[in-house]
Amino acid sequence: MGFLGLNSHVLRMTRDKQESLLTLSILSLAAVLSFATRLFSVLRYESVIHEFDPYFNYRTTKYLAEEGFYNFHNWFDDRAWYPLGRIIGGTIYPGLMVTSAALFRLMWLLNITIDIRNVCVFLAPFFSSLTTIVTYRLTKELWDSGAGLVAAVMISIVPGYISRSVAGSYDNEGIAIFCMLLTYYMWIKAVKTGTIYWATLAALSYFYMVSSWGGYVFLINLIPLHVLVLMLTGRFSHRIYSAYSTLYCVGTLLSMQVSFVGFQPIQTSEHMLALGVFGLCQIYAFVEYLKSKLTKEDFDILFKALVWGIAALSLLFGAVLTLSGKIAPWTGRFYSLLDPSYAKNNIPIIASVSEHQPTSWSSFYFDLQIMVFLFPTGLYFCFSKLTDANIFIILYGVTSIYFAGVMVRLMLVLAPVMCILSGIAVSAMLTIYMRQVDPSKNVDKKVKKFDNFSMKSEIATAFVGMITFLLISYTFHCTWVTSEAYSSPSIVLSARSQDGSRVLFDDFREAYYWLKMNTPEDAKVMSWWDYGYQITAMANRTILVDNNTWNNTHISRVGQAMASTEEKAYEIMQELDVDYVLVIFGGVIGYSSDDINKFLWMVRIGGSTESGSHIKETDYYSPSGEFRVDKEGSPTLLNCLMYKMCYYRFGQQYTDMGRPAGWDRVRGAEIGNKDFELDVLEEAYTTDHWLVRIYKVKNMRNRGI
Amino acid sequence: MAWLRFAVVALVLFCGSSLAAPDTINPSVRVKQADRLVDLASQLVKINTQLVFENTGSDAARYVLVALDESHANTLAYINAILVEPNKGGVKPLKVEETTVQNHEKSSNRFYRIDLKTPLTTGKSVTITLECIHTHHLEPFPREITQKEKQLVKYTGNHYIVSPYTVVKQKTTVNLSARNIESYTKLKPVTQTDMSLNYGPYENIPPFSEDPMLIHCENNTPFLTVRNLLRQIEVSHWGNIAIEETVDLEHTGAILKGSFSRYEYQRESGSGLSSVKNFKTILPASATDAYYRDDIGNISTSNMRVLSDAVELNLRPRFPLFGGWKTHYVVGYNVPSYEYLYNSGDQYILKIRFIDHIFDDMIVDDAVTRIILPEGCHNIQVKSPYPIDRLPDSLHFTYLDTKGRPVIVLHKENLIEHHIQDLEISYSFPRILMLQEPLLLIVALFLLFVLVIIYVRLDFSISKDEASENKLRIAGFVEKILSHQLKRINAYDAYDEQLNKLKQVKDVNSFNSSLRTITNDLKNETQAIADLQAKLKTDGPESAEKVAELQKLDKALKELLNQQQTLYVEKLIPAKINRTAFVEADGPLSKKKADIREKITALVKSLQN
Repeated sequence: MGFLGLNSHVLRMTRDKQESLLTLSILSLAAVLSFATRLFSVLRYESVIHEFDPYFNYRTTKYLAEEGFYNFHNWFDDRAWYPLGRIIGGTIYPGLMVTSAALFRLMWLLNITIDIRNVCVFLAPFFSSLTTIVTYRLTKELWDSGAGLVAAVMISIVPGYISRSVAGSYDNEGIAIFCMLLTYYMWIKAVKTGTIYWATLAALSYFYMVSSWGGYVFLINLIPLHVLVLMLTGRFSHRIYSAYSTLYCVGTLLSMQVSFVGFQPIQTSEHMLALGVFGLCQIYAFVEYLKSKLTKEDFDILFKALVWGIAALSLLFGAVLTLSGKIAPWTGRFYSLLDPSYAKNNIPIIASVSEHQPTSWSSFYFDLQIMVFLFPTGLYFCFSKLTDANIFIILYGVTSIYFAGVMVRLMLVLAPVMCILSGIAVSAMLTIYMRQVDPSKNVDKKVKKFDNFSMKSEIATAFVGMITFLLISYTFHCTWVTSEAYSSPSIVLSARSQDGSRVLFDDFREAYYWLKMNTPEDAKVMSWWDYGYQITAMANRTILVDNNTWNNTHISRVGQAMASTEEKAYEIMQELDVDYVLVIFGGVIGYSSDDINKFLWMVRIGGSTESGSHIKETDYYSPSGEFRVDKEGSPTLLNCLMYKMCYYRFGQQYTDMGRPAGWDRVRGAEIGNKDFELDVLEEAYTTDHWLVRIYKVKNMRNRGI
Repeated sequence: MAWLRFAVVALVLFCGSSLAAPDTINPSVRVKQADRLVDLASQLVKINTQLVFENTGSDAARYVLVALDESHANTLAYINAILVEPNKGGVKPLKVEETTVQNHEKSSNRFYRIDLKTPLTTGKSVTITLECIHTHHLEPFPREITQKEKQLVKYTGNHYIVSPYTVVKQKTTVNLSARNIESYTKLKPVTQTDMSLNYGPYENIPPFSEDPMLIHCENNTPFLTVRNLLRQIEVSHWGNIAIEETVDLEHTGAILKGSFSRYEYQRESGSGLSSVKNFKTILPASATDAYYRDDIGNISTSNMRVLSDAVELNLRPRFPLFGGWKTHYVVGYNVPSYEYLYNSGDQYILKIRFIDHIFDDMIVDDAVTRIILPEGCHNIQVKSPYPIDRLPDSLHFTYLDTKGRPVIVLHKENLIEHHIQDLEISYSFPRILMLQEPLLLIVALFLLFVLVIIYVRLDFSISKDEASENKLRIAGFVEKILSHQLKRINAYDAYDEQLNKLKQVKDVNSFNSSLRTITNDLKNETQAIADLQAKLKTDGPESAEKVAELQKLDKALKELLNQQQTLYVEKLIPAKINRTAFVEADGPLSKKKADIREKITALVKSLQN
């Protein structure tokens, strides 16, 4: 009865009111959904920060919230990269920390005594709610509000985006996608209206984007590319001139305020497209002006002279600057964007990160599901109704699909445009077919000419049914992926025991907490760089290398220590002033991403610098060219420090029923070197499931015996 | 400054005067019998001494004195004396107070005065049980052990009871936690049975006799010390008390020397005997929502068992605690306030423990308890069962607070299980303040809605948007017209009804009277619509056209009804027409009417959109 009453009430509202009610309710539901679907890990585990980088962000945010912005800006962190240290303020994008610290302060101002950790944990879901709303606005500008709603609902649960924004995944990307779409929205608005107002807003949101993620480079190349294409297609107008000029000037000036970016926007090659297009805009506008003032012959002569002159001059200028090093050469990550094999061949440290690997085909389907098919349809619809704004989304789609293919983590940039184009596709198709479902109601005279089709209504119904089915399957797929693949904090591992109950492996925190409580305050811990951020954040101890892999030689030195024999390693450890060494060993519980499996990267990175030239990858392979830890393995491997630290006393340990002692469950082999003692190290702590092993470096003997 | 100096001097004088009369050792009192039980079975040293005092002199003694040597006095955490009266069948606690004794001011011994309820007269004797508990008195020896070794501890004491009086007969029993005794001093007579040592009896020992006793034995019981305890009690008048304890824990036994081997720890039963894997914390029976976490999140290794009289929390630190290892954690839970909070009118009394159980035989070096009372409490008074330092009050701000909640901060050092006793905190709280928080919320939300209403209803733009304003105006007119139309339709419905009634009842008079009001209504509504239509013409010609159409249809409908009425009143009622002819005439009219009505409905719908 209540529903009927409501219904009659709804029917009595004007169409505008009905529409805004529907839009509001769908949008708010989508926003709530996008928040709620990201809470799996909090409900299943606890409100905890995930993975590696988020721990660094969490630590810096805590520092910012406690010490204030200026101290944060001037922060020299002596806990990392011992003995070099790191200037935190100048080497990070502070947007994320400033955002959460501001939220934190605001809430405390209102006496909402929330923990800074919880602000960090829930920031990404909160921002994905905002992203949902921005996606609606953006798609509405590009197509219509129906498409906007579909796109908004799609982006609220798309796994490609969820993978980086679940609760606890406190990383730059969490807010950067919001900033990026906001900038695009402002930009489209600016292109459509040509007002300085929107262009300045675009510049401001661009500034926010720059301050929060290195991926802003994609944005500052895409927008000029859009302008360039508009020029080439003859769609350049005063609106675009004023929009782009304002955006570029204000945006660049603002972006240079971020100290990590500094003078890059006018020096490095990545930013040159933007600068070039800005210049081109001025020339183009100038030429247009001249054209309107001069006769055709005069203009042609002047034009040719100008073109050649400017081309020669800019080439010369660019060459001089590049040679003199004013324009920085392209960095490795960007080379690897253009040539996927570049990193593999040249920079092992980039190649060793799994998220820098090229994307596999299956992961496209895994992360995007039906949008893989809807994407081309959306492109089709955009091409069929070409506008300035649609050209932008086409460019965005095409470029990002290339980048997503090159690097897994850029799937994140692709996901929003997939949602937008799929939203357009679904909405456009449904608009066509929904009219046909009940042709009797159709009073549109234009459709009359298609009257020769038979069974129009049935086909339309079937089509609508199919789309509905696809969308429902999308929902189920997304929820399943989120729950299964993207909601594990990776700091706590879980497994099913034989009786079906859940077993937690909390070894990482056990070890980090042990370090924090039971080692001297100034102890230096050596570990592979993956665990650097976690150790500084959770154990509060000084580390040699961390996930901010800025110094290749330093990481290489650690790699050499791990790959050398005990005596050689001892020298390196003495040189680096190491007190404790931490290794991750999964052989007891079968945790496959442990240090032995990462060991070849340590060897490669260790051998990549001059001081490690004696370390050769081939020495660590068995004669038949395999990497194995059993008796067949190479003696270099069986006697290196990493091997010894992982397998110390493991030779006596029974892991699997019916297997000999010292059976490594990850490698599936009985280890080759069982009975050995450590000379320069002593076991300081090993966690419950042997996952983390900490060794103490013995002091030098008083007398050289 | 001068004022301060004066105050200090006054204070010193005041203190001096209260101590001006030191106690004296009454030479005629002697201890007839002393039985001492030294319990070394845990990390604490618990000494229970049963003393029989006897007055041999002529003056009645109003108090007796007991003494502790320096090392025992420094580690004393708790002292208590009980009067044992077997014939009266009961025990009575006595007042024990530290004091100074004449001629013994320089002595390293410390004296305690036990006030007797009834003075001890000549020849009478009294039996008193003295209970002393010492913390950190057992010294691990050797200081450092490896993982394989057992933990050995050293107890240093005195073979004789330190007494200001002559002890006629005394004996001492020492209880140990293990059979393995490395060495012990042998002042004869001494015997060793299973897990205890028996010294004595020694007879006629003069006052303050000393003979060092040294026992070196195995003790693998947990040597855990809470270095710092912060207990926070947040009282809500809405029925909940939230308690949170932040604990800094350290293993104060023999320090682990060399490496820790997980292999041995898991495989060999004799490995790490003195280490602490887990311990039990007992919470109140009504405790709910317990949590156990530290700086980096939840500690997943804990178990909770609800017993009938308590909740038992089996806490396992992230790592086993070996000698010298530390950990830090937080345990919190909620209890319902009705068990702890009592009130009469605006006067409240909170009875809650100063500290609570953390583990058996616990030692708390330093405890701070913060009691957060609801906002608006005043006249706060604290009554404690034993002396506690009260630190300056502070304020605490949390959800929906305006001027802050008063916080009482209490501090005490060196505590053990015997200190788990109730504090009594009384305060007044006007009950009307309970409404403050809901009202605050209501007002805040109300203001928010008002702001939204203002924002939505009022136009803040500098430039006028003609088109949308026009649209809004049209929409306003159309809405009004539609509401009039609805009334008109209702009038028509009434008209139809009256006609039907007429057909059946054939009462022309009543029909006419009701028809008058209906036609009147119709006229009014039609006029109102016509007025609105005229206004609408300038703004929205399109809608105005539709309204004109509506009016036309309405006229036709009115006409039809009039025809029908004439047919009824003039033909049917006077029966000038037979049945079939009437049906023939009436049928087409009704059909036309229905047609027009449908058209009107369609038109109204199109106007709605």
